[in-house]
Amino acid sequence: MRAKREYTDVSRCHTANDGAQFVNALFFGGFLAAMGSGIPIAIAMSIGSLLYIWLSGAIPPLAMVHRMVGGIDSFPLLAVPFFILAGNLMNSAGITNRIYNFALALVGWLKGGLGHVNVVGSVVFAGMSGTAVADAGGLGTIEIKAMKDHGYPVEFAVGITAASSTLGPIIPPSLPMVIYGVQANTSIGKLFAAGFLPGIIMAIFMMIMVAWYAHVRNYGSDIPFSWLRMGRALTELLAIIVVAVVLFYLWKNEELSGLVKFGVPLLAVLALDKLMKFEAFMALLTPVILIGGMASGLFTPTEAAVAAVAWALFLGFVWYRTLNFKMLMKISLDTVETTATVMFIVASASIFAWVLTTTQITEAIGVWVLSISSNPLVFLLLANLFLLFVGCFMETIAAITILVPVFMPIIKQLGIDPVHFGLIMVLNLMIGLLTPPVGMVLFILAKVSKLSFERTVVAVAPWIVPLLVTLAIITYMPNLVLWLPRLLYP
Amino acid sequence: MGCSLTTESALNRADTEDDEQVLGADGQFHAKDTPIDLSAYRWEDWFSVFVFWLLIIDVFYQFFTRYVLADSASWTEEIARYLLIIITFVGSSMAVRRNTHIHVEFVFRYLPATVARALSTFVDGVRIAFFAYAFYLSCLLVPKMHNLQMTVINFPMSFIYGFVAAGFAMMTYRAVRLALLHWQRGWSLLERPGESEA
Repeated sequence: MRAKREYTDVSRCHTANDGAQFVNALFFGGFLAAMGSGIPIAIAMSIGSLLYIWLSGAIPPLAMVHRMVGGIDSFPLLAVPFFILAGNLMNSAGITNRIYNFALALVGWLKGGLGHVNVVGSVVFAGMSGTAVADAGGLGTIEIKAMKDHGYPVEFAVGITAASSTLGPIIPPSLPMVIYGVQANTSIGKLFAAGFLPGIIMAIFMMIMVAWYAHVRNYGSDIPFSWLRMGRALTELLAIIVVAVVLFYLWKNEELSGLVKFGVPLLAVLALDKLMKFEAFMALLTPVILIGGMASGLFTPTEAAVAAVAWALFLGFVWYRTLNFKMLMKISLDTVETTATVMFIVASASIFAWVLTTTQITEAIGVWVLSISSNPLVFLLLANLFLLFVGCFMETIAAITILVPVFMPIIKQLGIDPVHFGLIMVLNLMIGLLTPPVGMVLFILAKVSKLSFERTVVAVAPWIVPLLVTLAIITYMPNLVLWLPRLLYP
Repeated sequence: MGCSLTTESALNRADTEDDEQVLGADGQFHAKDTPIDLSAYRWEDWFSVFVFWLLIIDVFYQFFTRYVLADSASWTEEIARYLLIIITFVGSSMAVRRNTHIHVEFVFRYLPATVARALSTFVDGVRIAFFAYAFYLSCLLVPKMHNLQMTVINFPMSFIYGFVAAGFAMMTYRAVRLALLHWQRGWSLLERPGESEA
């Protein structure tokens, strides 16, 4: 009976346009007010949606819970906990030291050495972890401490750490891209492949900036140049590339048995690592397994994440012996906590996105945007400005879940590739992590470096430049972004 | 911005009190794992971890059947989705207790202490009210799901929604405890972002 009364309410609201607009304003305003006042974002989104549901009576309130559950009931989303777990397993000191020693051998002898090491270390770690905040909070602490020890100004250390942490979700694997892929119904494998080159370009721009700072401020190098160490690191890099290519062709061949696909390469890399006493070779194989497995069509993203977890467990417990049971428990607890917060946001954002669609706000935005310009280039510029603005105020996962239904119809109409747009969206939101008021990386690094929030903002600001330059490049050179996905997924 | 994705999830924090350099004179990194303290975790956290490991085993098993037995089991995928739902809603209570659900505390930087205290108390109240209401709604939903069967396994969906309801109940309880803690102690994470809840 109650439901019936509510249904009559909704018809009244929809006939009276003013009433509907009032409800829409209350829905959106309620959400913004709740979020601004410090209520957790997931609850704020649900409260906004509840206001709409109560006032419009479009659906019975208990459907909210049903939709929240439905929003996370998806197999591809299972990649989320496994990518988080793989990243956490790789985030122990034993493996971090190896990654840094490898980066040090490659670029530590350059002027401003630790700045370069910071970027290269993040590139490597980005191949195992899918979030920027894990990078900033995990590696960031070590990077900043090392740079402080070696006499670099804290501001410089914080700036480069902030910028390099955004590589995490650009270079595959990437949590935001999994969420985008699920919401936009786009191939996660293609999205991952699309992030690879832009990530490298970002890293190069950051290293150019480090070199420029080192030149202007006369920074020295942090280790002496040694042909031996450099040569060893280059051999390691070469070995990785060879293994990657071999694995790709082995995995692509459907006639081979599991033994040839997995057993033989496993024995080969184990022997190679033992023989050559490589520093980070085995750790560097994680992204190779992930990307190679997905690109060769062997693994789905979820399976790739599982394979990465299996590999990380093998390294931690058998090969490097850097983990123990207690650490595994702590890592499991951390992974559950992060997974629950991320998935709770996805659940709440899906009811929020549903309201946006039902109230036809989404449609109205689409009509409005297309009325401004139907030129894809102009649209992309406006979309970038909008996403940068949103990124300043919204949490990444929530923003993706809410905005994908808004943008998808528009980009389809304009003929923009959803993979290309996905990368643009994620990079914009990553830049948002470095800007106040809601820059998550800023808060973490302020805490880690013991700088005040305001000084952290100032320290990080110049390092947004290389990110913006990359953003401009990937926005207007879609072929650069889509080259690798097209090559791997013909 | 408070969040669970912060330094908490990293084991390898360089101890800043330590005088030893991370990058030693030998040109090698010597970062150390921070000592682990698991005493802050409660029974529901361990339940979530238990379910999480069930999920890992389930997906590993699927992996095994597909690549080794070349015949993937049909039930593993569905079970995995349900386990993820349980982890989300039950695990969420851990984030409530530790106050690590992502929130924006920016406005608190510019508020006078008394106003901040009042607003923080308001947030605590809204949190309790929301979870209690969501618990009530999910209790209404459970009987409705009783006749709905899972796709592959012959089992009612109300089982899953029961866990969702239990999760909201736990979140409500932890939200009340958190509010009491804030009340007694006189500050919350919103007012002091650098600290952590008990």
